[in-house]
Amino acid sequence: MPRRKTVTALLFVSPWLVGLATLVLYPFAASLYWSFCRYDMVSDPQWIGTANYERLGDELLHGGQFAQALRNTCYYAGLSVPLSIVLGISLALMLSWKVRGQAIFRTLFFLPSVVPVVATAVLWTWLLDPTDGMVNHLLSAVGLPGGGWFNSHREVLSATDWSATISSLQSGRHALLPLGSKDALVLMSLWGVGNFMVIYLASIGDIPSQLYEAAELDGAGPLRRLRHVTLPMLSPVIFFNLVMGLIQAVQAFTQIYLVSDGQGGPAGSTMVLSLHLFLTAFKELDMGYASAMAWVLFVFVLLVTVALFRTSRHWVHYQGAAR
Amino acid sequence: MNTHTKYKHEALASGLVSAASTRWRFVLGLVTNRFCFVVLFIVTALLIAQYDPDSTAVAPPDRQEVVFWHFWGGRDRVVVEDVVRRFNDSQQEHFVRAIAMPGNNLDLKFFLSVAGGDPPDLLNQDDPVLADWAHRGLLMPLDEVADKATAEQIESWLFPPARRLGTYDGRLYGLCNGLDIRALYYDQTLLEEHELEPPETWEALNRINRVVSPPEQETIKQFGFLPDPRRLWAWGIVFGGQFYDETTGTVTADEVPVVGAMDWMRSFSKTYGADRVAAFRSGDQSLTGSASPLLQGRYAVVMDGQWRVREIVAAQDKARSSGNPVRQYGVAPLPSPPGGRENAGWVNGNFFVVPKGSRNPAGALAFMKFWSGFDGHEAEAAVTCAAGGWIPVSPHVVKQPSFERYLRGNPLFAKFVELAGSPNQVPWPVTPGATYFQREITRTCEDAMYRDDAPPSEVMLREAATRIRARLKERVAP
Repeated sequence: MPRRKTVTALLFVSPWLVGLATLVLYPFAASLYWSFCRYDMVSDPQWIGTANYERLGDELLHGGQFAQALRNTCYYAGLSVPLSIVLGISLALMLSWKVRGQAIFRTLFFLPSVVPVVATAVLWTWLLDPTDGMVNHLLSAVGLPGGGWFNSHREVLSATDWSATISSLQSGRHALLPLGSKDALVLMSLWGVGNFMVIYLASIGDIPSQLYEAAELDGAGPLRRLRHVTLPMLSPVIFFNLVMGLIQAVQAFTQIYLVSDGQGGPAGSTMVLSLHLFLTAFKELDMGYASAMAWVLFVFVLLVTVALFRTSRHWVHYQGAAR
Repeated sequence: MNTHTKYKHEALASGLVSAASTRWRFVLGLVTNRFCFVVLFIVTALLIAQYDPDSTAVAPPDRQEVVFWHFWGGRDRVVVEDVVRRFNDSQQEHFVRAIAMPGNNLDLKFFLSVAGGDPPDLLNQDDPVLADWAHRGLLMPLDEVADKATAEQIESWLFPPARRLGTYDGRLYGLCNGLDIRALYYDQTLLEEHELEPPETWEALNRINRVVSPPEQETIKQFGFLPDPRRLWAWGIVFGGQFYDETTGTVTADEVPVVGAMDWMRSFSKTYGADRVAAFRSGDQSLTGSASPLLQGRYAVVMDGQWRVREIVAAQDKARSSGNPVRQYGVAPLPSPPGGRENAGWVNGNFFVVPKGSRNPAGALAFMKFWSGFDGHEAEAAVTCAAGGWIPVSPHVVKQPSFERYLRGNPLFAKFVELAGSPNQVPWPVTPGATYFQREITRTCEDAMYRDDAPPSEVMLREAATRIRARLKERVAP
C-alpha cells in the first residue's frame, strides 16, 4: 500500500487507536506495574517486588480469602457453563421442531435474556427466599425440604452437605436441601441462557438436510442423528459458547454484588474473584494487591482458554475442513 | 443482507416515505441530509451539556460556593435539602451546593475526584474509612479547618460516641452530624400474650426464645430473637470486650468477652440448626416499612436502629385510623450478661469530612456548625434532627426546648437518645484498615453461626485477629 494511503488509513482509525492506547493498553500495563507495588490510588505507588504475589500464594496455601474466592469462582463457572450448554442445546433442539406457535415459544424462551441483570437479581431473590419464596413452596408441595439458597453457604455438589441433610432428616430434625447461594447463582445464570440458545438455533438451521437424509438411509434413529450429525455440526458453536461462557462466568460481578449486598456472604460463599478484587481495590484501597489478583485471574482464564483450544482439535468439526 | 431482503427493506422504506405527510418528509430530509444531521447532533449535545437538573443551586456571584457530596435519598434527602436551603438563606458569604450520590460507591468517586485534583469541599460519610483517609493525608483535621481552640471546644461539646467516630490519632478529622444507635425493639403485645417480661435483663431476653419459639417445634413461623452475625460488634462490647485498644493500637478481637459473645450467638444456631437460622434471617435488614420483620410479626424482639421508630408509629397510626387493634411496641437497651457493660453497644453515624484541596474550608466549617449545632446553632440543629428523626451529636442540642418537645411525643425515640450519652456505645475501630477489620470480624461470625463444622470460637477469633494484625501493620507502614 502506498505510504500516503497508509497514513490516511491510520488517520481514519486514529480515534480508535487513541482509545485503545489510553483506555486499554495503558491500564493493562499500569496494572501490571502496580501489581508489584503498594498502591492506594492517592499516594504514589511504592515498589515492593513480588510481595503481592507472595501474599496471594500464601492465601492460596493457607485457605485465605483469595483461595475461597478462587474456589467459589471455579465452582460457579464449572457448574454454570456446562449446564448452560446442555440447556441451551436442548432448548434450541426443541424450538427447532416445526410445531404450532414455534415463534411464540422462541420469543418466550429468549425473553429472560433481555431482562436487565438488576431486575433478574431482585426477581430471583424473591423466588428463592427460603421462607416465602415460590421455589421452596413448590419443593415443599412435592414433599421436599427446600433450600437455603442465597442465605446458605451449602453446595449441591458437596457430599458433606448432603450427608448432613440426610442425617438431619433421618433424625427427624429440621433440614434443608444443600442448595446454597452459589447454586442459586447458577440457577439464575441458566434463566438467561436465551442468548446462547439463539446461536444454537441459528446453527441448527444451517445444518444441511442431506446429512440427516443420509443418516436416515443408513438406519440412524433420532438419538444417533443427534450424536453423529447434530452435535458434530454444532461443535464450532458449542466451542464458541464454551469459551465465551467461561469468560463471562469468571467475570460475573453485578448479580453477585446485588444478591450478597456487596459482601460476598453468607459466610463468604459468594465471594468470587471479581467481587474480592473490587472490594480489595476500592473498599480497602489495596490497588496493588488487587492488580496482582487481576493478573492471576487473567493468566488463569488465558490458560484455561488455551487448554480448551488445544483440546478443540479433537472434538470441534468445521464444515469442509480437512481432518 | 441478501438482495431479496435489501429490496424488501427498500420497498418498505419507500412505502413509508410516500405515505408520510409533507412535514415528515421535511424532517426525514433534515435527518438524512448529512450537514443538517451534524448540526442537529451538535445542538442536541450542547443542550444536554447545558442541562442541569439542579440549576437553581447556583451560587450567587457575591458568595463562595461549598460543594457538598452526600448520599441521602428519599425522605431524608428532602430534610437535607431543607437544611441546605435554611443555611443558604442565613448566609451572606457562603453558598452550599448539595450533590446527592449513590452511597455504595461514594468513596470510589471521592478517590477519583482526589486523583483528578477536583475534590468536593465537604463530604458526608458513614463507613469506617476516616482513619484510612486521614492516614493518607486526604483529609484536613478540624484544627486546621478552624483552629486548635475551636477543635478542642467541638470535642468537649460532642457526645462521647460522636467524638470517637471523628477522632484519629488524637485529632478530630470528622464532625459527626448524626448518631445511629442500636437497641432492642420488642412487640409488647406479643410478650404480654405470652406473659413475658420485656427484654430488659439478660434472663428475660434468653427466656423469650424458649417460650415464643421452642426449638422442638416442627415449623417455626415466629422467633423470639435471633442475633445477626454482623452485630458481634455490639454483643462483644456488651459482654465487656473491646475489639481494638486505641491507646496501644492493639487488636483485641480475640479476648475472652468477645469469644463469649460469639459463643452465645452461636448457641442459637446450635439450638435451632444453622440452616434454619440462616434461612429465617433472609432479607431481615433490607425490609422496610410495614414489611419490616418486627411489624410482620416474624420476631418478638429485634435489634435495630432508631430509624425504625417512624415505621412503628406509621403502622400504629394506620391501625388506629382503620379501626384495627393497635399493637404496642417498646425499646430497651441491649441487656448485659453478668460481668458485662450497661447501656452498651455498637454505634455508627454520619460524619462530615473536609478533603485536602477543598476550595472553601471556611464555608464547609460554617455549614458543619449549622448542621450539627455547634457555636450557637443548637436550635437550628434541633429542628434538623426532629425533621429527620436523627439523634443529635451533642447534649446541648438535646436540651433545646423544641427537641425536648419532640422527645416527649416520641418516647421510643427518646430511649435511643438516652443511649447517646453512654461511653459504652463504641464505634468500629478508627484505624487504617478498619474496613478490612470490620469485614473480617463479620465474616468470622457468619462462618461461626452458619457453618456446622466451624472450629471453636476462640480459634476462629484468634486466627481472624492474627490476619487483622498483619493487615493493619501493613496499612500503617510508612
